[in-house]
Amino acid sequence: MSVIHRVNIPVGGRPTVGVGHAVEPSDVLAERRSPGDGVDLPVALPLRRSARDGAACLVVQAGDLLDAGAVIAQDERGRQVRAAQACMFLGYDDADGSAMIAPLGPSEPVLGHVRGEVVGIEPDAIELRVAGALVTGVGGSGNAVHGELRVAVHEPGDELRASAIDIGATGRIVVGGSRASAETLTRARAMGVAGIVLGGILDKELRDFEATQQRRREIGGVRGDFAVILLEGYGKVGFDPGLFGWFRAHEGRMASLFGADARLYVYDAVPPPARRVLPRPGDRVVAHRRPHAGQGGELVRVLDRLHAFGSGVVGRAALVRFENGQTTVVPLANLEATQPFTGE
Amino acid sequence: MSVTPVRAEMALLLDVGSAWAKAGVIGRVRGRWRLVAHAAQPTAWGATVLREALVDQLAASADARLVDRLDQLIANANRLECHTARRPARVAIVAVSRELSGSAARRAAEAAGWQIVEMVTFDDGRTLAERLGTLQAAEVDAWLIAGGFDGARSPRAMEAAALVASSRRAGGGPVIWAGSSVLADEVIRLFEPGSAISVANPRPDARREEPAALRDHLARLLREVVSAEDDTHLSTVAFPRAVGALASATGLRILGVDLGAGSATRALAEPDGRVASRVHARGGMAGVALTPGAAARVARLAGDAGEEATVADLLQTLRARPSTLPHTPEELSATQAAARLQLAVIAEESVAGSLDLLVGAGRAIAGAPHPSQAARMLLDGVRPLGVTQLAIDAAAVLGPLGSLPDEEIREGLSLLGDDLLVPLGTAVVCRGGEPGRVAMRVTVHRPGWPALAPIELRSGQLQVVPLPRGQEAEITIELFGSVSLGAPRRSPRIRASATGGSVGLILDARGVPIGLPKRGDDRREVLAGWRDTLRREPAIGAERVA
Repeated sequence: MSVIHRVNIPVGGRPTVGVGHAVEPSDVLAERRSPGDGVDLPVALPLRRSARDGAACLVVQAGDLLDAGAVIAQDERGRQVRAAQACMFLGYDDADGSAMIAPLGPSEPVLGHVRGEVVGIEPDAIELRVAGALVTGVGGSGNAVHGELRVAVHEPGDELRASAIDIGATGRIVVGGSRASAETLTRARAMGVAGIVLGGILDKELRDFEATQQRRREIGGVRGDFAVILLEGYGKVGFDPGLFGWFRAHEGRMASLFGADARLYVYDAVPPPARRVLPRPGDRVVAHRRPHAGQGGELVRVLDRLHAFGSGVVGRAALVRFENGQTTVVPLANLEATQPFTGE
Repeated sequence: MSVTPVRAEMALLLDVGSAWAKAGVIGRVRGRWRLVAHAAQPTAWGATVLREALVDQLAASADARLVDRLDQLIANANRLECHTARRPARVAIVAVSRELSGSAARRAAEAAGWQIVEMVTFDDGRTLAERLGTLQAAEVDAWLIAGGFDGARSPRAMEAAALVASSRRAGGGPVIWAGSSVLADEVIRLFEPGSAISVANPRPDARREEPAALRDHLARLLREVVSAEDDTHLSTVAFPRAVGALASATGLRILGVDLGAGSATRALAEPDGRVASRVHARGGMAGVALTPGAAARVARLAGDAGEEATVADLLQTLRARPSTLPHTPEELSATQAAARLQLAVIAEESVAGSLDLLVGAGRAIAGAPHPSQAARMLLDGVRPLGVTQLAIDAAAVLGPLGSLPDEEIREGLSLLGDDLLVPLGTAVVCRGGEPGRVAMRVTVHRPGWPALAPIELRSGQLQVVPLPRGQEAEITIELFGSVSLGAPRRSPRIRASATGGSVGLILDARGVPIGLPKRGDDRREVLAGWRDTLRREPAIGAERVA
């Protein structure tokens, strides 16, 4: 199984790989020199022109990338204004006759953060084929990280406790359970965990954690990357048992996690249990809204008539036998059919 | 014996949203076109399931000779369809100042339905390198540059244009210059031929804001970007067209608000059919989670939705899983409070003059379990000052009808007659006054009903007078002190007529904006009182007060 991953190349980036190249998560796919802050460069004065007339001598346009020594302006007598260093030409001020240029900084790598094969190069992106499976979530936070998967809870509904984060989790992507507190996330970050995969998390705790990270970044106290992905929903929401089984079966596999994009690539993995809207009787289902968010069960039957739920909302409904033994009517729109994971 | 063939004339009205698809079947019943079936379901369930739902409804009432053919009849029926754009159109704005050129450009872009993914201004506190880095990484469909007053050569405005020229790759989407007119040629030359265009400056001087030309251009560009087919089928275009046709047909001044899962559309139509519409790309239910502090405000507004943390999770769920349904009363309460919050944002640009009719559309409003909840969302969100009829587009027919050619929309609206909208009643909303003091005295005369004593409403009170659908009442309103209905008072008594609906005549002296007690328990009590006042089933001749 393979999936396509797209890596955007910022303006000015130059690819350093070609189609067919095999790349690792830390490989450089493109390089780019970022423009720094602007500096003024006199143009009219060296060309002995008025500020307004100096504009006619420009040979570059806003946005042009210039090598050191490149000509910026010249007149008919051969007088020239050159760039002293590699820079981006930003504009010309006809009030004082100067050009604004932004010197280019050192070369910066553009990483793919995935292992795969380059299958396409476009002006604005590089496409990679990743041999493995893609799991998408409903939300997340943080940068791209990679590491081995490590399952840190016993049951899909267990909460990921700070005590479960030990030295063995360093550099790994930890698969937790139904929730992780801001304290657990902070400990994981401090222990060098690369990322965390959760069924759910309280939005408030995730935001609190993000705010802490932001503050620490501002004062220079955070190094390295860390990402979180939520697969099922917000709040205390356990994993679907089938998906949890799939993670268990792939413990130790390398994975790349893109927190803010809510995407997780697991290498050399079989597809995760598929999901389908509009489940049918006999299907294993997972519920997505309170009071059953994250609970799995079996759809017993779809009710013939529309049903008025506790909220008063009327809609199609299904009778579900949840794994906790409760049998109840749930809005059909809140259910997804899932498959049990039967192993590779 | 010869068998008379049974003919069935019907049309299918489809509104396919990003999260929910709504369908209505109109058919000829005893010579009149009526809405004979209506269904709504998650869009992902597909067309077949939607058709089955319609067939199930029709089978209960259709001619027995047609029952076996209903599926085929619906499949072959004329279709009027509108849909949400398949993806948002994204724009980056570079402007000289946040408050002047930047805010004018932002408002115009939002009004046209664009999603602003980056906004850079020269007073945003960022360094040039940070601005360049931000813009160079932006993935957008168009670039909007604004700055400088007309007639002035603003170096900062030129810098803004140069910043875009430095950040955008060749062929990287159209560029719109909406700044000083004297710089237009110079700016356009910064970009490859044909890629940049100049439109009228939305901020021609420090005192004026004229966003119409920019907004119209952006609206046209948006349709090119997101919709390859006929743009009249876009919900954001079709809904305002239908509201405009309705205003023209009825001679009413109408505000239509369509609160969708992703975006929201606001259409203000004058009696002559002119429409001013605005699309809020993130104004739908999913957008609440992205508003800073929204969870606290929703928890406060709802009163019975639980803690702020619980509400925050719900708002994220509305964003992540927009086609799910609130199962518990607390979830519904929070969802509707979130809808009120979004409506308040949409209505922020106040409507000059009073409205005759306020129409609510979109699943959150039109699909509310009880009409009083829809009325409350409209009333609390929009706060329509004066005497205003309230209605909902319960069957989501306005969008599909608005996708018809111009000359046919009005005909379509008139064909549906009473089935077009569900009237909720009439609201009298005032502002001003002192807490606890009488704000207005209303005398209601309902033909055929026992006479009512004049009703005195104190500031902060809400009262409902039963007035069923199809009934009319004459009302006389006396205002006290500084209380106003939004228009200058020409006489001590204001006379108006009110039409009934499923909620009734709503007398609302809660002010604009609504003031809520600071203490949590008091607030919850007041909110529950208002909810119950609107909710209680009308008893003949009895008023409800909170």
